[in-house]
Amino acid sequence: MRDLLRVEGLSTRFFTGEGQVNAVESVDFTVRRGEILGIVGESGSGKSVTALSLLDLVESPGEVTAGQLWLRDADLADEFPEAADGSFVDLRELPERVRRSLRGPTFSMIFQDPMSSFNPSLTVGEQIAEAVEVQRRANANPRSTRSRTEGYGLGSYVVDGLLPNRDYTGEESHDRAVELLERVGIPDPEKRVDEYPHEFSGGMLQRAMIAQALAGEPDLLVADEPTTALDVTIQAQILELLRDIQADREMSILLITHDLGVIARMCDRVAVMYAGQIVERGTLEDVFDDPVHPYTEGLIGSIPDLDDPAPRLQPIEGNVPSLLDDEMPRGCYFADRCPKAMAACLEPQAERSVGGKEHAARCVLVDSEYDERDALSEDHPEHDAVADGRGDDA
Amino acid sequence: MGSFGRFLLKRSLQGVVVILGVISVLFALRYVTPGSPVDFIAPLDASDATRRRIAESLGLNQPFYVQYGDYVVSLLQGEMGYSYRSRTAVAPRVFAKLPATLELAVAATVVAVILSIPLGVISATRRHTGPDYAATVFSFLGISTPNFWLGVMLVILFAVQFGVFPTSGRPVGLLDALGHLVVIAGPERGWALPLNVGPFLAAMQNWLLHVTLPAITLGTYFTALITRLTRSGMLDELGQGYVQAARAKGLPTTLVRYRHALRNTLIPVITVVGLQLGTLIGGAVITEAVFDWPGLGSLIIDAINNRDWPLIQGSLVVIGAGFVVVNVVVDALYVRLNPRVLE
Repeated sequence: MRDLLRVEGLSTRFFTGEGQVNAVESVDFTVRRGEILGIVGESGSGKSVTALSLLDLVESPGEVTAGQLWLRDADLADEFPEAADGSFVDLRELPERVRRSLRGPTFSMIFQDPMSSFNPSLTVGEQIAEAVEVQRRANANPRSTRSRTEGYGLGSYVVDGLLPNRDYTGEESHDRAVELLERVGIPDPEKRVDEYPHEFSGGMLQRAMIAQALAGEPDLLVADEPTTALDVTIQAQILELLRDIQADREMSILLITHDLGVIARMCDRVAVMYAGQIVERGTLEDVFDDPVHPYTEGLIGSIPDLDDPAPRLQPIEGNVPSLLDDEMPRGCYFADRCPKAMAACLEPQAERSVGGKEHAARCVLVDSEYDERDALSEDHPEHDAVADGRGDDA
Repeated sequence: MGSFGRFLLKRSLQGVVVILGVISVLFALRYVTPGSPVDFIAPLDASDATRRRIAESLGLNQPFYVQYGDYVVSLLQGEMGYSYRSRTAVAPRVFAKLPATLELAVAATVVAVILSIPLGVISATRRHTGPDYAATVFSFLGISTPNFWLGVMLVILFAVQFGVFPTSGRPVGLLDALGHLVVIAGPERGWALPLNVGPFLAAMQNWLLHVTLPAITLGTYFTALITRLTRSGMLDELGQGYVQAARAKGLPTTLVRYRHALRNTLIPVITVVGLQLGTLIGGAVITEAVFDWPGLGSLIIDAINNRDWPLIQGSLVVIGAGFVVVNVVVDALYVRLNPRVLE
């Protein structure tokens, strides 16, 4: 499979009143055409910000501060040779209007909470039709970014508000919205298309959001916790639908979740995030059957297993660090929670390849065995320094 | 009938009940207000017999329910009785003053809405920049400036110093100005494009010049209020998930702002605009006084000073009805923007 998107050294920071927050730090991964790549991690590990960074949706006070996002797009590479490398083009070097034009036909995103992701005062069909219409207008006149609005400004808005039946979207887009709703398995789409979000159930609305995301026929669908807000039975249906559509259209999916069960069921490859970094990545088998990083082991250890009825689950002690730049330790961010932390963990860890070329982890254990004599014991002064976030002074 | 039609019918019926309530409360007020109208009409040395005759001629000797019944019946016939003081019919006097009041209230609202909503949107979308700070300072000043002072200052500056606007008065009404057009292009002459628009334009210019300063005076507080409301509402909406979702599907910024965020921002704004327009209809007394604007405000003040109950009641019933009508219209707009209300 060919690479669709190569992310190299992506860093996203938030410049808040309390200080600089390193939400995403030097993240590397690759998305291939037609695969499902999973990103798994706890809340606050930087999964969602990574996704928003891809779509250029990070808002002030956040900012993508470093890295390259190489997208395979021969046309764009021709058009912007200074940002190109072969048939790849670095998205961060492109003008903002071009990046926006990629939302829809190249990237699309679905969100965790379908209820808050639809505008409550427009019909569901209208909102899907909008996503169709914006692409239709762009295709009709690819050179002009203005054609996407066709002068839709304050004036048109006022007219929209006062006169019924004069709107941004056309009949064609409305019909396409019905088709899309049908595609995602919503019964009676001709009727549902004119209903408002509050008339839909959560599961139906998540289907509608998938329909909306498909409107631009994207190459990569970013699904940010698509099933977290839903009932378990509905979760399974939504995952099934995503798989079905992915196979159908040979689309790539970047699936972001905190649920390893979802990852195991859906993904070809997986990346584990912790405190803004990818700590381990590889194929599903690499990561699940042969984890190297103690954090990955910990995550897997905290899943209930029906076949091996251990009396108690083993949670990972402690919490995700604050991500405030001033408080981050110099060495491995997981060291203070790590059951296998050693003296070497107080130094920054680079990503190292494990055996096969797919599997990599950001951990000393890739090259060395755990040695208890080097352990950072509870009474070890340096261990405390890490735990207090004063690793720099140690 | 659609759910929107049912909604409108229900609101209109409720409006009628409210107007009946207004009439009843006004009628009751007469009996708790000290001072009899007879005191104002009769000479100081009038005998008891004379006073009784005056009271009888005003119908004040009847039991209150008869007076109330008579009043409601006459209102339904479009009558509002006769002024105690001038002995002239109340209805024509009230309706003669009504256009001036409505013109001023609507002009102030139009000025406020046209200025404040774009200002609020700019302020929210360019947060913490020069325009935002300017709008914040403006709304702070606008909310804290008393309008009698502002009115006088505007007169001194723009009417006396620069001579751009007239100081006071309303020689031409808006309806009179529009009347020129109807005469030129009335049905009997066919609806051809009027060639002789001169008188119309002259009258419009005259009206606009006279209404500008009072409208700004009356509308400043209102503009400031709506600016703040729009700014905070817009900031709130721009932070919502559906705005991010709209951007994620590739919508241009204009659509995200106006079609999505502004639409929801306007839901509470419309309510406040409606309530304010209602209060402007009844509450322009001070501004009318400053600019010698011949509206209902001055009529009511005179009527209250004279205990001229038919005139007080007539004016207030009209103002109350205006308030109710504005609110029904606002509710209709509200439903159009926020379909969840119909549930």
